[in-house]
Amino acid sequence: MSGDPSEEFTVLDEIVGRGQTWPVMAAKYGVENPLPPWKTSLDGLCDVLDRTCASDDELRFGFKERRDEEDVLAATRYAELPYPENQLVALAHSLLKRGVIDQAELRRRLAGIRARLES
Amino acid sequence: MPEHHHSHDHPHDHSRTVKPMVDEITDFEVLEIALRELCIEKGLFTAQEHRVFTEYAEQIGPTPAARLVAKAWLEPEFKQLALTDAVAAAKEVGVDWLDPTGFGTPSDFAAFKILEDTPTLHHVIVCALCSCYPRPILGNSPEWYRTPNYRRRIVRWPRQVLSEFGLELPDGVEVRVEDSNQKHRFMVMPMRPDGTDGWTEDQLAEIITRDCLIGVALPEPGVTSNVTPLVRPAVRPVEE
Repeated sequence: MSGDPSEEFTVLDEIVGRGQTWPVMAAKYGVENPLPPWKTSLDGLCDVLDRTCASDDELRFGFKERRDEEDVLAATRYAELPYPENQLVALAHSLLKRGVIDQAELRRRLAGIRARLES
Repeated sequence: MPEHHHSHDHPHDHSRTVKPMVDEITDFEVLEIALRELCIEKGLFTAQEHRVFTEYAEQIGPTPAARLVAKAWLEPEFKQLALTDAVAAAKEVGVDWLDPTGFGTPSDFAAFKILEDTPTLHHVIVCALCSCYPRPILGNSPEWYRTPNYRRRIVRWPRQVLSEFGLELPDGVEVRVEDSNQKHRFMVMPMRPDGTDGWTEDQLAEIITRDCLIGVALPEPGVTSNVTPLVRPAVRPVEE
């Protein structure tokens, strides 16, 4: 199944391993907001994917598939992550598993975005 | 003419009012952007479609600010008031800027100015140093408005940042980034779009969404903040 928790994506494991989750970061900076600032953008990302992918039979990534996979992954492979970090990483896992994106291009993009944001 | 105008020449006393923020870019923030950009490039959705869904997730309903702009579009005299005395105009749509109901903090008791877009000038607001925002009339600021990503980059690369919201402006339109500060709050008055002839104030207010008043979107018939938008199916692979 696409949510197979035994599937390994080292790019995601490395992110999990660095542990920059919101509770950790919020405590470090004394922030009270319970959710990270990218949360609503992730909501938008999930919602728009659910809508646009619903009719793509080949992709098999409708709302139900996405949520089922998220539940499995959040309870197993990414169980150490809080919400919504686990939702984000599960989404990445599902997109990598389907080949919508691949690890190499994701790595390149992560590096490029970090450089852009830190410029 | 410069690409954009950026005025942040104020004595900044944010320490008095600003709440702490995570001033560090995390791997998760970067991952969210990466997934979104790659999905857009692969044709799953557009930046604008994503923006609309994100606004929907955060929406606080038609704001008094939307009512103010709709009224200004319909009544030239009120528009003149809005552009010359925004505090008085706000009062006419039920917001007493000096006594904001529930939204305000002491930092909101400031001058308020409305920035009029024209065919050759587009405004967008930011608080580069923290998160100053016209809360009495627009409610709480969106999450992204408070991120260093937006605050740092909109003043330097406004067109690039606007395109990430799905807003592509023609070359002939100057982009002016207005930086809020301790004493001044701003709001954008977008131009009334085509296709709205004969519309009532209520109809117009519906399409003047929060993002239009910040300046990261333009009002458009059919796009409102309180209707889940319909989008086209994903296109894969992406069409050239």
